[in-house]
Amino acid sequence: MTAKPNTRIDIGGLELKNPVMTASGTFGYGREFADLIDLNRLGAIIVKGLSLEPSKGNPPLRIVETRCGMLNAIGLENVGLEAFVKGKIPFLQKLTTPILVNIYGKTKEEYAELAARLDDIEAISGIEVNISCPNVKAGGAAFGAYPQTAAEVVRAVRSKTTKPLVVKLSPNVTDIAEIARSVEAAGADSVSLINTITGMAIDIESRRPKLANITGGLSGPAIKPIALRMVWQVAQSVKIPVIGVGGIMNAKDALEFLIAGAAAVQIGTANFINPRATLDVIEGIESYLIEKEISDISEIIGSLETNQIIS
Amino acid sequence: MFQENVQILWNKKIGPSYYCIGLTCHEGYGMAKPGQFIMLRLPAKTAPFLRRPFSIHRIITTDDRATGIELLYKVVGDGTDKLSRCRQGDSADILGPLGNGFSVFDNYQRIAIVAGGIGVAPMLFLAIALQTKGVDLSKCTVFLGGNSTDDLLCRDDFNRLGIRTHVTTDDGSAGDQCFVTHPLEMALEKNRADIIYACGPMEMLKCVVGIAAKHKIPCQISIETIMACGMGACLGCAVEKKDDASIYMHACMDGPVFEADALKFN
Repeated sequence: MTAKPNTRIDIGGLELKNPVMTASGTFGYGREFADLIDLNRLGAIIVKGLSLEPSKGNPPLRIVETRCGMLNAIGLENVGLEAFVKGKIPFLQKLTTPILVNIYGKTKEEYAELAARLDDIEAISGIEVNISCPNVKAGGAAFGAYPQTAAEVVRAVRSKTTKPLVVKLSPNVTDIAEIARSVEAAGADSVSLINTITGMAIDIESRRPKLANITGGLSGPAIKPIALRMVWQVAQSVKIPVIGVGGIMNAKDALEFLIAGAAAVQIGTANFINPRATLDVIEGIESYLIEKEISDISEIIGSLETNQIIS
Repeated sequence: MFQENVQILWNKKIGPSYYCIGLTCHEGYGMAKPGQFIMLRLPAKTAPFLRRPFSIHRIITTDDRATGIELLYKVVGDGTDKLSRCRQGDSADILGPLGNGFSVFDNYQRIAIVAGGIGVAPMLFLAIALQTKGVDLSKCTVFLGGNSTDDLLCRDDFNRLGIRTHVTTDDGSAGDQCFVTHPLEMALEKNRADIIYACGPMEMLKCVVGIAAKHKIPCQISIETIMACGMGACLGCAVEKKDDASIYMHACMDGPVFEADALKFN
C-alpha cells in the first residue's frame, strides 16, 4: 500500500494540513456547516467578509441563477467586528483548522483599524484583504482596480498586523498580474484570485434588471476557465504563493488550479450546491496523488508543461 | 440537518402541472416541523445549477418511524420540469429539514388555514401536526384559493382529516369567484379564529396579514424566496423587516415562517 501523500503546504506563513480552503461569503462563519462536515478536516476556513460596523447589505433580489453559475449582489452583509468577536470567535477558536478573516473597509483607514483589532486575536490565523468585492459602492473593488490604490490598502494593513496577509484580487481589471505584483511589493504574503466577475441579468417581461443592485458578481463553473488563466498568469508574475478560486466544483477542477501554479485553492459556490464539496475535493486530491504515486503535493504545484517559452 | 442521497418512491401527476413526489429520508425527519423545507438537487445535472427549495408536504411513517417525505410541487421552470420527469427508483440529493416551521399550540382550537395555489404544500403537514397536538380539527377551516379548479389541491386530504374546506377561484370554475381572503374575512367576522396560518403568493399574504391585524388575531405566514444554499451561508434570501430598516432577515434561517407583523410588504 502506498503511504499517504503529504498534503501539508505553507501559504505565505500559513501552515495548512491540505490546500483546500473555503471562499469567503460562501461558508458563513463555519458553524452553519458543522452539522454536515467535520470542519477540522479543512485546510482553512475563510469567514464572511467583515467590516468595522455591522453592514446591512444590498436589497433583495440578491441572487440569480445563470447558466452554469450564479450572480450575487449580497453587498457584504455582515455582523460587524464587535459581534463577530463576541458571537463567532468562541466557536471558531475551538477548531484546529486555521481561521482567516476576510476584511473590507470603505477607506484604507478602516482596513487598517480592522487589521489592528484582529491582530490581537489569537484564534485568527490570517487576514484576507478584500479589495475586490464588486457589489459595494465605496471601497472593495474600487481599491483593487488600480495597482497604486491596491498597494496603499495593503501597506496600511501590513503596518498593523504581523499575521499572514492574503490579498483577494478582482478579475475586473485590465492586467491582474500587475495588481498582483503591486500588492506583493506592498507586503502581501499571498494573493487569492479570482473574486467574482461583474455581470447582469434582465427580466424581459418587465425589462428590469433581475438583481436589485442591477449588476452582480458571477461565480460557479462558468468562470473557471477565466480564473484558471488568471491564476496561471499571476503565478508566473509573483514570488508569493497564489491561491486559486473560481468555479471549482470537484477535485479535478482543484487539480487544474494546482497544476497551473496555485499553491492552494478556495471552494466557493460549490458549498451551496454540495455542502461537503470541500471534503470531496480534499479526498479527490489525495486519491490523485496516490494514483500518480506522488508523495508530496508540492510536486504538482505549477507543474504545467507547455511547449511555449514564457517571456 | 442531513445531506443525503435518496430514492424517489413515486412521482405522481395530480393535476395539470402539479406533482406529488415521495422520497426516502433519514429517520431524523420524524422531528421535522410543518413549514420546514428541503433543498433538492438531481444528480449530475448542470442545469439547474442550484438546489431548489420545497416545503415538506407530509412525513411518511412506517411503524411510527419517519421513512420518507412527500413534496407537492408545481412545474414552473427548468428545475421543476426536470423533477417532473424523474421516476420511481431514481435518486435525488436532499438537504434538510431546514428553516423554522409553524408553531403549533394546543390551546388554540379555532384555526384558519389559508392557502393560495401551491402554497397548500406545507398546510397538509400542518393540519396533521395540529391533529397530533390534540387540536379538534372539526373547528378548523382551510381556505383554498387558486386561479381555477385545477389549482385547488388536497381538498380530499383535508376533508378526510375532518377539516372544512372553503374554496375560491379567480375564474369561478370552483367555489366562489373571488380572492381567498374574501371568505376568510367573512368567516372571521362571524366567528373569530384563535390563529391564522397562511402560505401563498405575497399579495395574498399581505392581504391575510392585514385582515389578521384588523381582527387582532395571531397569524403566521410562510413565504417563498429565491435561495441558493438554504442554510444561512449565501445570505441570498434577504427579506425586509417591518420596523427595522437597519437589518435584513433571511427566509432560510429566520423563516420561511414569520409572525405576521415581522415582515415589511412592498
